[in-house]
Amino acid sequence: MDALRFESVSYHYPGDGRPALDDVDLSVEAGQFVLLVGGSGSGKSTLLRAAAGLVPHFHGGRLEGRVTAEGMDTRDHDPRQIARVAGLVFQDPERQLVMRRARREVAFGLENLGYPAAEIAARAEEAMMVTGASRLAERPVERLSGGEQQRIAIASILAMGHRLLLLDEPTSQLDPVAAEELLGLIVRINRDRGVTVVLAEHRTGRLFAEADRVIQLEAGAVIVDDPPAVAAAAMALRSRWLLPPVAQAFAAAGRSPLPLSVREARRLVPHPAPPPVGTTVRAEPAVAIEHGHKMLGEVSALRDATAGFAAGRVTAMVGENGAGKTTLALALCGLLDLDRGRVRRAGRAGYVSQNPAHYLLHETVADEVAYGLRNLGVAGAEETRRVAAELRRFDLDELAGRHPRDLSSGERQRLAIATVTVMRPDLLVLDEPTRGVDGRRKHELAGLTRELADDGAGVVVVTHDMDFAADVADEVTTLAAGRVLTDRGPRSVLATSQFFVSQVGLALGVASVAEASRMLEAVDTDPVNA
Amino acid sequence: MKPLPVTVTVCAVLVISIAAQNPVCLAGSVVAASALLWSATPPRRPYVIFALISGATVFILNPFVGVQGLTVLWQGPQIPIVDTQITLEEVVFGAGAGARLVASALAAAAFVRLADPDLLLTAVSRVAPRSGMIVSLATRMLPVLERDAAGLVLAARTRAGRLGTPRGAGGLLAPLVGMSLERSLEMAEAMEARGYGGPGRTRIPERKARAGERLVLALGALALAAAVVAVARGATSFQYYDTLGDPFVASAWLATAATTLPVCAAAGVIRWTR
Repeated sequence: MDALRFESVSYHYPGDGRPALDDVDLSVEAGQFVLLVGGSGSGKSTLLRAAAGLVPHFHGGRLEGRVTAEGMDTRDHDPRQIARVAGLVFQDPERQLVMRRARREVAFGLENLGYPAAEIAARAEEAMMVTGASRLAERPVERLSGGEQQRIAIASILAMGHRLLLLDEPTSQLDPVAAEELLGLIVRINRDRGVTVVLAEHRTGRLFAEADRVIQLEAGAVIVDDPPAVAAAAMALRSRWLLPPVAQAFAAAGRSPLPLSVREARRLVPHPAPPPVGTTVRAEPAVAIEHGHKMLGEVSALRDATAGFAAGRVTAMVGENGAGKTTLALALCGLLDLDRGRVRRAGRAGYVSQNPAHYLLHETVADEVAYGLRNLGVAGAEETRRVAAELRRFDLDELAGRHPRDLSSGERQRLAIATVTVMRPDLLVLDEPTRGVDGRRKHELAGLTRELADDGAGVVVVTHDMDFAADVADEVTTLAAGRVLTDRGPRSVLATSQFFVSQVGLALGVASVAEASRMLEAVDTDPVNA
Repeated sequence: MKPLPVTVTVCAVLVISIAAQNPVCLAGSVVAASALLWSATPPRRPYVIFALISGATVFILNPFVGVQGLTVLWQGPQIPIVDTQITLEEVVFGAGAGARLVASALAAAAFVRLADPDLLLTAVSRVAPRSGMIVSLATRMLPVLERDAAGLVLAARTRAGRLGTPRGAGGLLAPLVGMSLERSLEMAEAMEARGYGGPGRTRIPERKARAGERLVLALGALALAAAVVAVARGATSFQYYDTLGDPFVASAWLATAATTLPVCAAAGVIRWTR
């Protein structure tokens, strides 16, 4: 029996003329690991919701065709019944947490399914243990970091022991080490227990090689449905940005076959470039923190933090979940007072938080961008000119009259950045700007970030996305447990470090896809052709 | 804290704040509700501000909409719809109504801050599963709204927003409501996706009530019984119109003491044991 089957499924959200799913036909055998890829708005989340019965039962709209999950037809069974066989982890963990305490949250689904009390406790403990969330058990969920909330959300689904797991970007808020651990766990559950996994993800680095099948969606339709190697070859031609970074580098260099993992890349290029020699440009910092201490509740968020960030350069700030990155970012921008220590900064600072919805206050996109300028006293023709320029720069000019809350997540993200950059800050801090952003948009964002630094701003990017950091950063600052471990280390950190390293760094010894493809074009070692 | 002791204690305050007429009893209910909220963990200030603004609004508006009372304090010009003859009775009635609102709002806030939302959801879902979702939304709404508000303020500050002005701060209200609506839908979806509302719900074993919780329950029950008896026997009644009665009667003092003191003692126990 197929674990999941879509038969000629089309779906329209209420009031939307375009199909969110367009004549989707697919079947997933029990025990398969399916990777779902596609740009923002391609229909990945809708497909997963349809598999869980939430489309159309919860969202309304018009569904044609038939969806069956573990034999249950979603037309005849509502989401509560399908929850017995299929578990769905949503994209944003904060918005799916129901209970206040983490332990209760993990037990919530088990209680709903009517598990005996003793079994609930045992399953909840086990799920928290395997997701590394045991220490969070008694903490209020609203006080957890995004990464910690994501662990709880995943634990609460794993505890229910489904035969079909539907995961919507489950690692988007996790640091590289935690993401690696979690993906390893999901692969293990799939391999060892035969649980069917359908996983949608933008960061495909590790997953391509692990999947049995890769399905690409575009405008709600399935355009690729093949084993990974075949799918990669098809995508290399028209949507290279969906591939793992190592495959992107090989495709950009015109090489074939495409490696899908670090191991395969190493096999194809056994003698990669020697690690680049790091050079640190010791320019006068535009902003610096000296011996900064900050307690948040009972947690020491910053401990004797000292770091500097130069104008005209992009610094990636990396570190595990809860390392103090956001606290440091807020302190640099003057949005958080330190308990001890000081921040030295010349000029204006702008901060773009992890949640672009916080920047949506007005009725139109143009008004939203103009808000900051008006607050600075810029008005009339100058305001109009700068707003128009910023909208063009972020490809939002055609949306100028739209309501900001009607924008897609990617468009909201760009708008949030535009509302701050229009004020021409001397220091710009972007906190996790690639969350939920697809590869193509990420590449564009990297270009924009570079442009802002070239205009003279000091740019700090707080990120867990090492491939994005490798694309954009000149320097790297690493934090752990509130301490700055390396201040303004060279970007070669991203190619050579033990954990905070990009995929092409692991495979080829250079940080970014662009560097890797240039290196591959120059290297004539090609075991296939040799 | 377990929901039952909190519910009983808050009910004692609400019985007086809703059913009593006597200003002394209403003032007592404000004191009792304030003590309960004081016993909860922060944040408490937003609730106090909301309650005071609501109560003050009622107090200020009442003399201009009521047309009763014989003791005229001020006679204004003739304005259509608005009553510009202000009487002492209208002012005192407005103060009583304002106190009633303040006490009720503070008691509700104390309930939200004190009752364990997880245990509350479990309790409610046993008798009314659909209401469980509302309870979960309501109990988590305030902390989440608080975080959203902090995020909005942060984003506005980085854009040089003038939040010190009423207009500047008011501009954040609509987005805050919009975000909370989006959030409530998402939470409802998440609950359905995990099988909430289906038959045969079980629950994780609950811990036994602690000594402090048992003591709060006893004090709350005592206050509730006293409140019900006082209201039923007319000890909390009072005449506002046409002329004011005497609020300082022995029965009102006794009713106030019998309800307020146990609630304040319960608040002390909660604060001491939390």
